[in-house]
Parts: sequence; structure tokens; C-alpha cells
Amino acid sequence: MFPGLADVSISQDIPVEGEITVPVGSHSPDEDYSTLDEPVRDTIMRDLKAVGKKFVHVMYPRKSSALLRDWDLWGPLVLCVSLALMLQGGSADSKDDGGPQFAEVFVIIWFGAVVITLNSKLLGGTISFFQSLCVLGYCVLPLTVAMLVCRLVLLAGAGTISFIIRLIVVVAMFGWSTLASTAFLADSQPPNRKALVVYPIFLFYFVISWMILTFTPQ
Amino acid sequence: MKQALVDDTEDVSLDFGSEEELALRKARIRHPLATFFHLFFRVSAIVTYLFCDWFSNSFVACFVTILLLLSFDFWSVKNVTGRLLVGLRWWNQIDEDGKSHWVFEAKRVPTIAASTEAEARIFWLGLIICPVIWTLFLFSTLFSLKLKWLALVIAGISLQTANLYGYIHCKLGGQKTISRVTSRLFGTADVPQRQSRISEDGAEEHGKAVPR
Repeated sequence: MFPGLADVSISQDIPVEGEITVPVGSHSPDEDYSTLDEPVRDTIMRDLKAVGKKFVHVMYPRKSSALLRDWDLWGPLVLCVSLALMLQGGSADSKDDGGPQFAEVFVIIWFGAVVITLNSKLLGGTISFFQSLCVLGYCVLPLTVAMLVCRLVLLAGAGTISFIIRLIVVVAMFGWSTLASTAFLADSQPPNRKALVVYPIFLFYFVISWMILTFTPQ
Repeated sequence: MKQALVDDTEDVSLDFGSEEELALRKARIRHPLATFFHLFFRVSAIVTYLFCDWFSNSFVACFVTILLLLSFDFWSVKNVTGRLLVGLRWWNQIDEDGKSHWVFEAKRVPTIAASTEAEARIFWLGLIICPVIWTLFLFSTLFSLKLKWLALVIAGISLQTANLYGYIHCKLGGQKTISRVTSRLFGTADVPQRQSRISEDGAEEHGKAVPR
């Protein structure tokens, strides 16, 4: 009866169905439309899991660019605060309430990380500012563990043996931190500049290790 | 005949459903918890900074408390209250070749649970007033030479200003982003053709194959 419409009909084996909902599950920027309405608990769990995954990555460093893409600064904040808290109570600040010391550790870590990032960007690195801060901050984890161990060892005594133990632990963790961060950061540089990027990172962790090693409780 | 799925994001149904929905529509504040937390962390950080001497003698405890309050505030405003109260969101995305993009999104679909004017007003006032207060603290710290608080005040200013900047960018750029997104959604096929197909084949409610 309507021959012209014969072409227009839908053949049986092509399914034509779907949904017209505004958050269509398609590629990456639109994907986040669906997260605009997710329950808050999901958001919290997602971020917590991301932070936990990064901590695991620092302990077992593997080159993983997918990790770098999803940066966050919660880990560095927690590590910085715990390290600064553990460095309190040293004999240097017995007079006042530990104010300047605490803020010093903070400023050293964050300012140092910013300077290293600027350095690597000026050398032509491809990594973004916050990614680099994220990696440097997370790689403070081994040194925080070293600080914990040092404080425990110092509870037992402050003699030569304890110093040797602390020295070994701090040197080992310093090496681990530096290796973990260069595993992530050095790749973003051209090959003849890798040493120029690794050197400030080495210095940064060296200063933190020095603060840890020279810590003596009152 | 398959009904279109009714979820929160596409609820343009004409039936004035249950009483709950009516109450929700009439309420001036539809997300009381989000509104509370939006203001709670910011105001507590400011109050703690002003009255830290009363709470505790220890500089370290105050510093850590205020820093944690500021961080929770930053996270909750960026990830939760922005999208619940005003339907805006911003984030940083790093693509395959390592370039970082800042993405600003705004939601346009009106829903029952969309934000009200009162909520939007509270959101923006809270967002604007607090960085101004922290800037005042910066000057007072500099002039009274209580420099040990400087790091904290600078952290506070940067976190709150970052959120303010991000949301203003979202708000101003919202129109552009949405028109780009919708043109991508319907980009490949013609809409009129599809509509005519739907009218011919009365059984089909919707005829858009989701592109993957």
C-alpha cells in the first residue's frame, strides 16, 4: 500500500533501542555526568581507594602511567602531618611549644616539592605540576616509616648501637624513596637530562633523612 | 512497550506523584545535610583560628586541626556540595600523552531534586566570604608579626580561592560546555529523521542507539 515506506522499515535483526537520558554513558568527559549524581558515599570510597592504591604503588614501585594520571594530594598531606608530628619533641625546641619546628617541616617539604617540580618543568618535562607534587609527596612514605622506626628504637636507648640501627634504616628508606620517585618522574624527561632531574630529588630526600637521623628526644 | 527508565537525572514526568515529591519541590532547602557541611567546615576553620588560644595551648594541635578542617572543606565543596547545591563541578584530567586539562561542567537538566535559590545563595555566599576573611587574616598575621601562622593562612587562602575560581569558571563557562556536549550526543544522526521513524512505528518509544 505504501511502497515508498518499504525501505524505511527497520529490519528485524538490527535492534533499535536505547535510552534518551541526558547522562549517556559514553566517553570520558560525559562519563562524569553520571558521577554528578552519585551518592556521596561512593565519592568518598572512590577517593579513599585511589589513595590506598597509590600507597601500595609506592611500596612496590612499578612504572605505571595510569597511576600518575589520577593524582591527589591527600597522601602527601597525611604523610607530611605525621612526619611533622613525629619530629616534635626534640631537644632543640624545649623552650617553646614546638611551633616553629612544626611549621618548618611543613614548609621544607612543600616548598621543596614545589621547587623540584618547577625545576623539572623548566628542564622541559612533560609531567604536570600537580602530578609531580603528588609523586614526590607519596614517596615520602618510606621516610615516614623510617621515622617511626627511629622513634621506637630511641625509646630503647640512645647509644651507639641505636645510632647504627637508625643509620641503616634511614639510609635504606632514603634509597627507596629516591628510587620510587625517579621511577615515576625520570621518564618524563629527555634522556640526557635525567641526572639534572634526579639530583634535586636526591637532595630533597637527603634533607628529610637528615632531619630524621639527627632527631634526638629530650 | 518499554518505559523510559526514570532516574533522578531525567525526571520530566507530568504526574505530580507522591506527597514526598511535592514536599521536596516546595522545600526551600532540598539538601540540608550538604548545606550544613558546606558551611560547617569553613566556619569551624575560621572560628578555630580565631579562638585557638581558648581551646588549647599547643600550636601544633591548632595547626593540624585547622589544616584538616580546611582540607575536608576543600574536598567536600569541590566534590559534593558543588554538584548537589548548584549542579556544577570541576576537575583536572590528564590524558594519554600527559597533558593536563581542567574540565568545568555544569548541569542543565532540571530535576525534582535540583537545587533551590536559597541553597544556591548559601553556596555562593559561603564560597565568596570565606576567602575574603582568610585574606584579612593574612594581613593581620603579617602586621602583627605572628609569622608562625603564616603557612596556615596561606594554605587556607589557596584552598578556598581554588574552589572559588573553579566554580566561577564553571558558572561562566557552563553554557558553552553544555551546547558542545549535546551536539556530541546527537551529532551522528539527524533528529528529525528519528522523530519521524518514531511516529511511524508506534510501538517504538525511543530510537537512539547508544554510541559506544
